[in-house]
Amino acid sequence: MASQQPLPNSQPPMDVYGGDEVSALVLDAGYCHTRAGFAGEDVPKSVLPSFYGSLKSTNTDSTTASYRDIFGDECLIPRPDFEIKNYMSRSESVVEDWDAATKMWEHMLIKRLQPEKETPPSNNGLNDPAEDGEGNVAMDDVENQERPLAENPLLMTEAPWNSGKAREKAIEIVMENWGCPAFWMSRTPVCAAFAAGKASALVIDVGGANTSVTAIHDGLVLKRSIQKSPIGGLWLSSQIRTMWANSDPRVDIVPSYMVENKTPVDAGAPAQARLRKFPFEFTPSFRHYEEERLLTEFKESVVEVWRGPGRYSNPGNEELVKSQPGRVFEMPDGANQMWREQRYRIAEGMWDEAAALPTPDAEVKIQTIPELIKAALSNVDVDLRPNLLANVVVTGGTSLLNGFNDRLNNELMAMYPGMKIKLHAAGLTTERRFGAWIGGSILASLGTFHQMWISRKEYEENGAGIVEKRCK
Amino acid sequence: MASHDVRDMLNLPSEGAGHRPAKKQKTSAPRPNLKGLAREVQSLGGDNPIAIVPEISTFKKRRFGSRKPTARWEMRSFQNSARGDCSLHLRHWRKQTDGRRSRASSQPQQDGNTPGDVGMGTQSESEKLDDSGFAKFNVQVDVPQYSEDQYNSNLVSNDWTKHETDYLIELARTYDLRWPLIWDRYEYTPHLSASTADGEGVDVTDPNTAVVPAPHVRNLEDLKRRYYEVAAKMMAVQKPVQYMTQAEFALHEVMANFDPDSETRRKKFALNALSRSPDEAREEEHLLIEVRRIVARQEKLNQERRELYNRLDYPHTEQDISTFKSSAGLQTLLQNMMNIDKSKKRKSLMDANGMNTPASAHPSGGPPGSTPVSESRRESIAASIGGHRDSIGGGERPERPSKKGASQPERKKLSEQEEQIYGVAHYDRLPSGPTFRYERINKILTTKSHAQHQRITNTLTELDIPTRLNMPTRPVVEEMEKLLNAINILLDIRKINDKVDAEIKVEQAKKAERERASVAQAQAQTKSEDTDSSREDKKSDQTVTNGAGAAANDEVSGHPHERTNREGTSTNGATAEAMQIDGAGESSLVKQETGDDKAARPGSSGAHKRSASDLSSVSDNSAKRQKK
Ligand SMILES: Nc1ncnc2c1ncn2[C@@H]1O[C@H](COP(=O)(O)OP(=O)(O)OP(=O)(O)O)[C@@H](O)[C@H]1O
Ligand SMILES: [Mg+2]
Repeated sequence: MASQQPLPNSQPPMDVYGGDEVSALVLDAGYCHTRAGFAGEDVPKSVLPSFYGSLKSTNTDSTTASYRDIFGDECLIPRPDFEIKNYMSRSESVVEDWDAATKMWEHMLIKRLQPEKETPPSNNGLNDPAEDGEGNVAMDDVENQERPLAENPLLMTEAPWNSGKAREKAIEIVMENWGCPAFWMSRTPVCAAFAAGKASALVIDVGGANTSVTAIHDGLVLKRSIQKSPIGGLWLSSQIRTMWANSDPRVDIVPSYMVENKTPVDAGAPAQARLRKFPFEFTPSFRHYEEERLLTEFKESVVEVWRGPGRYSNPGNEELVKSQPGRVFEMPDGANQMWREQRYRIAEGMWDEAAALPTPDAEVKIQTIPELIKAALSNVDVDLRPNLLANVVVTGGTSLLNGFNDRLNNELMAMYPGMKIKLHAAGLTTERRFGAWIGGSILASLGTFHQMWISRKEYEENGAGIVEKRCK
Repeated sequence: MASHDVRDMLNLPSEGAGHRPAKKQKTSAPRPNLKGLAREVQSLGGDNPIAIVPEISTFKKRRFGSRKPTARWEMRSFQNSARGDCSLHLRHWRKQTDGRRSRASSQPQQDGNTPGDVGMGTQSESEKLDDSGFAKFNVQVDVPQYSEDQYNSNLVSNDWTKHETDYLIELARTYDLRWPLIWDRYEYTPHLSASTADGEGVDVTDPNTAVVPAPHVRNLEDLKRRYYEVAAKMMAVQKPVQYMTQAEFALHEVMANFDPDSETRRKKFALNALSRSPDEAREEEHLLIEVRRIVARQEKLNQERRELYNRLDYPHTEQDISTFKSSAGLQTLLQNMMNIDKSKKRKSLMDANGMNTPASAHPSGGPPGSTPVSESRRESIAASIGGHRDSIGGGERPERPSKKGASQPERKKLSEQEEQIYGVAHYDRLPSGPTFRYERINKILTTKSHAQHQRITNTLTELDIPTRLNMPTRPVVEEMEKLLNAINILLDIRKINDKVDAEIKVEQAKKAERERASVAQAQAQTKSEDTDSSREDKKSDQTVTNGAGAAANDEVSGHPHERTNREGTSTNGATAEAMQIDGAGESSLVKQETGDDKAARPGSSGAHKRSASDLSSVSDNSAKRQKK
């Protein structure tokens, strides 16, 4: 790279780029993934599933059982007595289990992001007798260290409907456990809007557990506009499950871990695979988690959103789709099938309530995305609406579905004819999946943001309530 | 694929810095300093770079030759004066300055070990701490402030308690006057317990609020209204209105005159616009396009029309154009113009000629003159229209007819007051060329017959007004015109009056005669045929008088004024009234007379037109009379 320009050693050009990095950390917790990294970078350094393993180990006298929490996707492997849990709440995407959350975040922020501190050889773990090492958080280290994050301000994101109590709990953990010098809490849609370069936007976040629509004005959430609905990635997965269960022949979900080897078969033929034998039973949560991996793969590669205009159920559409090439999906056990018109049915429920397949866990009425948008906008001052419609930011992993943006655009045009509608959806997959984190990363690296941080001293003087006062 | 990629894949140890420059070299043209390696050999490699490359001796030299000391960076603490507390010392990387080098090594460690007392420990050196360059961007809005007393004397409202007003102002400050946010976060809960603290304030405003705290649902307009009210009043309190600067006063006016209702209405409109159906939207779009097209076309049309007018705008000739009205006359005119055209080598006149023909039908008054339209005059007038007409303000200069004004929308519009000051007046139609105002007066007089003229001058002398105006300013001339009209009317009325008097006398004479005759009849009691014949006589008499009346009307015909008409009608009425004196027995006669009157009138004078309503009123009158 001889041609590269040398970095100017003088003052950074502050007028162009308002950044002034203070080695802040950014943490974005979602129901499916938790993302952590350094402010100023464009992707989070550490992305882990918010699911964690809880390993039951029976003591020698086999009367008391103790649980060990294991974090990280690579550690969620078949084991006996292994439960998969999530520290977030399925319905709200906010923290439910604070102990687990603390451990999870510590694991990410401290173990994965901080440079190894030199420890005396006596307790650096290298000289200990061999143990099963994976995922074993060096908890003791963390506890030994008085203030592991004393040099890093921390910016955390939260769902816009997060309760005041949860926010106070968060600042307590950050300040008391890790000794951060400064803290800030920002709402995910605001961050997503920042990531798209907007201070005012209508943010449509189609995440894992929820889909939310929020209007942002000048970098602040308009609280009355917040709308959420459970139609997210997990809901889509349950749609797929329903479809597979009801299809003829029934499609069985066999997660990869169960397959030892397979032989190729023709499309539609029964699978010929040898399954692995395990000497222990799996917990349902583990099986469910593994199935979810398969379903996500199916979502990414097969499921498609009918692009519109109009609904998929409109006459003629299905015939049109049937005449077009479908997609083949091969299960881990080798069974494969061509998916044509069915793949459009799965996501149609996001737009058309009548088209949603019945799911076992959703008796409550789910709001479709157009309904959410309508409700959000109707709770916003009329003068803002045109601007919001011209700045629609689409984020969240499930918005990566094929054809999602086209359909959204069509629906918006049908709902608000004559308005200028502009969608801003990041082209890069990572930017869409980590939208909120990236926005937080931008925010925390801005020079003008220094004045916003809640400092340690302010926390000590005012108590945890300060987060409610400051982070509006 | 480059060889080092292969190496990477095969996990072979890389050769060091060797092949990267080689690749670089390959892409650029082979340099002459590749000695010892024939070009053919080198080209053997094809796209792949050849690993054997003569070492460039300058490379290393350059690298180590100009060795400057590397820039040293340090993790430096800084503070941000925009923060309220200033206790937060964040650290960022900065290029090391000489003065700080000594401290640089110790700083991070110190911070790392004792992060808690960073605030206190660095207290002494806080003045040495850099301030963030971004602190200056922290700006706050000014929100109105008021004291307890000021609130009580100025801002008391039935709708708003002081507590809620405080809350609103506080929100406005927090959200920097971003109203959508203020409204969004407005969650006022009326307080009870705290009201004892500022009890007087609450009591004064509204004693009820202390008892029944009714949470209002405030909309955005309510909030704005209250805020602007407070802001405007406090502005006026701090600086009385008359001392405000222009900008301040404008701001004050805007805030004081905030109209929430019109805002609400506007929002309703906006809402309607948002909730249109696709069809409506499409239609509106369609209409908009149409409008735009029409406007565009209108502009083009205006342009064309203006051009046309410029062409058409021949000077109103002062001379008799009747010679050109015959085809032979036109022919000669064309000849004339062609000659001029040829001599001036101008092309455009040919089509302008065509335009001239219909224009010659234009009415043009004025005394007959001599020469035909001259080219140069045309030009000058066209120029004066196209050019800066707005500079001509004086009333002396006659304005063009208003259709020209319409074609020049860019002209500055004068207000009524200004028009008066500059003496600008608008006329429907003006003869071209300068005229004298007193000529207009003279014209009125000279068009009259000599006798009438005489009578008018007599009346004027009676009124002590000179016939020739000494100072014919516009108002004077206008008044004079009015006066002359009035005099005309007066004279007409007088004339009619005289005539009616005469008629009455005649009728009275007739009546006397008839009475005598009837007396004679009573005395004689003889042939009835006689009376019949006398009636016949009377009838013929009547037609004669009618004819006279019509003649009188004819004289008035120069001024077909409504008023004269009325006058005429009333005189008719008066005649009828006079007739009625004759007695009930005569009603049939009266009726006949009015009928005659009606019949006679249309034929009597072409110019004099009677309105239908007048006619009907007459017949109404006659009907009434008949009833009697
Ligand atoms: N390419 C893709 N196509 C379809 N779905 C995808 C794709 N990539 C990820 N997903 C789905 O997106 C979801 C994860 O999205 P995301 O990471 O935004 O959620 P989250 O932020 O963790 O959850 P939440 O915002 O609800 O708390 C998963 O359900 C996953 O199946
Ligand atoms: Mg999310």
